[in-house]
Amino acid sequence: MPTTRDQKIQAEAKRLLQEGVVDVVIGFTKGTLPYKMQPCFIQHAEDVEQLELNGLCSNNLAVYLNHRPKDERTAIVVRGCESRAVQTLVLENRHARENLYLIGVPCIGILDLQKIQQHEQDPVLAIQEEGDQVHVTLKSGEKTFQRSEILHNACLHCNHPLPVNADMIIDEAGLFEERTFDKSYLESFRSLSLKERYQEFTKEAERCIRCYACREACPMCYCEECFVNHSRPQWVDSTIDPAGQQAWHIIRAFHQTGRCVSCGACERACPMNIKMTYLTDLLNQDMFKEYDFEPGLDPALMPPFLALGEDNEKFGVGPEGSHAG
Amino acid sequence: MKNCYEPFPMHIERIVIETTDTTLKSFELTFDREADRKDFFVKYNPGQFCQLSIFGKGEAPIGIASAAWEGDFVRFTVQKLGKFTSAIHAMHVGDPIGMRGPLGNGFPLDKWKGMNILVIGGGCAFSTLYAMTKHILHPSHRADYAEITALYGTRNSGLCLYKPVIEEWHNRNDIVVHQAIDVPEDNWKYHIGFVPAVLEEMAPKPDNTVAVLCGPPVMTKFTLPILTKLAFPPERIYTSLEKRMKCGVGHCGRCNIGHKYVCKDGPVFTLKELQELPNEI
Amino acid sequence: MQAKWISKKELKKLLTAWTKHYLVYAPIDNDHELAFQMVKEPARIVVDGYSNTRYPAKSLFLPQSEVLMKYDGILHSVENTEKEKILFGIRPCDAHAMQLLEHALVDVENPDLYWKQKRESAIVISKACIAPEETCFCTAVGGSPFNTADSDVLLVEMGEDYCVYVLTEKGISLCKELPDAEDTQLQAVKKLTKKVVGRMPVLLPKQELHNALMASFETEFWKDVSQSCLGCGVCTFLCPSCFCFDIVDETVRKERVRNWDTCMFRTYSLEASGHNPRPTKVERTRQRIMHKFAYWVDLIDEIGCTGCGRCVKYCPVNIDIREIAEKALHREFEGMKK
Repeated sequence: MPTTRDQKIQAEAKRLLQEGVVDVVIGFTKGTLPYKMQPCFIQHAEDVEQLELNGLCSNNLAVYLNHRPKDERTAIVVRGCESRAVQTLVLENRHARENLYLIGVPCIGILDLQKIQQHEQDPVLAIQEEGDQVHVTLKSGEKTFQRSEILHNACLHCNHPLPVNADMIIDEAGLFEERTFDKSYLESFRSLSLKERYQEFTKEAERCIRCYACREACPMCYCEECFVNHSRPQWVDSTIDPAGQQAWHIIRAFHQTGRCVSCGACERACPMNIKMTYLTDLLNQDMFKEYDFEPGLDPALMPPFLALGEDNEKFGVGPEGSHAG
Repeated sequence: MKNCYEPFPMHIERIVIETTDTTLKSFELTFDREADRKDFFVKYNPGQFCQLSIFGKGEAPIGIASAAWEGDFVRFTVQKLGKFTSAIHAMHVGDPIGMRGPLGNGFPLDKWKGMNILVIGGGCAFSTLYAMTKHILHPSHRADYAEITALYGTRNSGLCLYKPVIEEWHNRNDIVVHQAIDVPEDNWKYHIGFVPAVLEEMAPKPDNTVAVLCGPPVMTKFTLPILTKLAFPPERIYTSLEKRMKCGVGHCGRCNIGHKYVCKDGPVFTLKELQELPNEI
Repeated sequence: MQAKWISKKELKKLLTAWTKHYLVYAPIDNDHELAFQMVKEPARIVVDGYSNTRYPAKSLFLPQSEVLMKYDGILHSVENTEKEKILFGIRPCDAHAMQLLEHALVDVENPDLYWKQKRESAIVISKACIAPEETCFCTAVGGSPFNTADSDVLLVEMGEDYCVYVLTEKGISLCKELPDAEDTQLQAVKKLTKKVVGRMPVLLPKQELHNALMASFETEFWKDVSQSCLGCGVCTFLCPSCFCFDIVDETVRKERVRNWDTCMFRTYSLEASGHNPRPTKVERTRQRIMHKFAYWVDLIDEIGCTGCGRCVKYCPVNIDIREIAEKALHREFEGMKK
């Protein structure tokens, strides 16, 4: 009998592949560095032992639905945010739900390497997770953290760690409780003056190197041609001058309004440690206030900006069309 | 020292609408500065290209369609396709334009001396072949080469470039011209069919002959096997490649095939050279 | 080559003195992130204890965004205003990469003057790595933590002192006041070098790897290794030897600029006709690896990667160039579908 979380995931993946329910299982496996896990794509039942899930799995696996053939029958190991991203992609007709099998895992949160490795001069050599505790070997010595101390901010502020609409849920306790929409951490930013807010934003955006790791790591960024690459006309300054950097971050965030699942994969992918989920969270907070809407929670409810016609006054109570079929 | 990214100023001297659908126009450019003109003609070899430059629209690599002896201008035949080419199509005689070049290697005309030359062109890619053929047909060069045969295919007769000159070539006795269109038309005197099929029918002899091929990728793809079938060795089959380019001088990286840069090491390659490179055209 | 010796305390004084006569660029700690910046306060220079900066030092010579020309009816090249500068504390892998960039950007016929002027105006003082990171593999690609390539001076940290290898005329002009190192000191440096290098990965057989990669070109190997790639530009932008750029007109500012570009982006090789020779991440990943480990070898018989490990460390999905090279070398592609 499988006992650990990983064993349960592996057992389910094995069954799905053996019974021919799916062609591929997308999950995580050990990386080449002690502090990294990497996405993996398991196609044979004998390979399922590669599958592991822990606090170092920093990507949102739903992103791969945008890379893979639409007719591929796919199982994905999903945590709360990944399941919500899948829901949103299904609603946006990116993938047919019947081709997907979601192996849901109650989330234990994702660790933030930046919080562990306070200085670039003190790299992480090894990480060992043990329940609520995380033992880290740094160049400067051993250290034990409470998991909550070193969680990524997106996970600290997560409201829905439980997978939504999964086909099965791995029977293991997650780290968090579900809670009603709470992004109160934004209040400190909201309370700043316009000038101060702009300063905060500038301080982050000015490190941008336009590598678009944030875009590529995001399941919701799937446009064939991104606005920032558009050349006729060219909408955005191409350089790493503030005009281009800021336009990129602002417009990217706006395109995520009511779609971003707050997974934080963008921030974890960013090589320059730029904070950006606060922007999409601010917009999502407005969406919650205005429309009582949270992305990806209800598999039948279209994001307001996709569902609202010009004459819809209130989302969810308008005429037909505000609900997806 | 010269900045290799700085275009020199030119003006549009003449514009010719080449095709009945007006998607192809030839632009004849003249030099604003004498030094640039001198420098250009010292270096120019048919088969080379230039980066044309319109500020705000960027640059585009365009093959040179004129022979040096034609005059103090440089001709470019441009198909309206993207941002840059749409902009140049909207320009008028007298408008300023930037130019960098000549760039690339061009055809090895010296190496071909004493040989027969088989020119195979398709559609708008005929432009540099046209420049080369014109160069060879000049009285001071013609004797350097043996038989010249040209096969030029277009979808229909209206899409044929340089009509008056090609018409004149038909009447010359120092070049044999074959023209082909895809589907029959009234009053068409020449071949009907795709270039590969017409070539096979022509069955040119490979002895002491170089085949020079420029056309759309699909034409190239189906013509190369015919040449091979006709026993042309790969080192005597030449073709000119197109790639997305920016710098034009082998620095910016993007036009590589294996370790070769199309802008600097090409655009002219032999089939043998291409066979030795990774298959990524 | 001359070998000199200086104490850490004296070096700090020397650095301060240099800032009075030169522009000095050195690693500066910004909110725990190191970056090469112009030194305003010498006290903020991070001299020891770091492995490398995240953002590569190539940006000082090939800036990520650079104005090439200004437009006022015609395009004029911007004037060369480069002042003599000292680049302090660059790692041997990054200095080695500058040799590769020099090769890529400067040829007899069409030298890239923007690069050339910046490069020629710089005196490069590199620092040997006495504690390479787990992601470092310079020794596998023909370099060394003590490599002197493209440096004018190489410092080796020796306890409370540095051994100062003076490699060029430029270097001599800066270090002529320093005392020569003694034989016992040099013996100690040699011992340290051996110890550090001994812990590093072994040299890859470059020709064998080249041949393997060429043979792998049309196999499913590349589909396999690129499967998790997201298609961002982290690996190439942080790479010290990647040099590809785009040229763009910024019409509002009336400037023609160049920006770093990357073969990992779809638009990089997309042609106006819609044709793309590298349409998916499979071909694009292949290009990145082949360029470094095969095409550079074709060109100059050297691997085009200097083993700094940034792409390994910062790839959001942990694609590891070392692992791909190893897999190719072991011919894992054999038997894979074409």
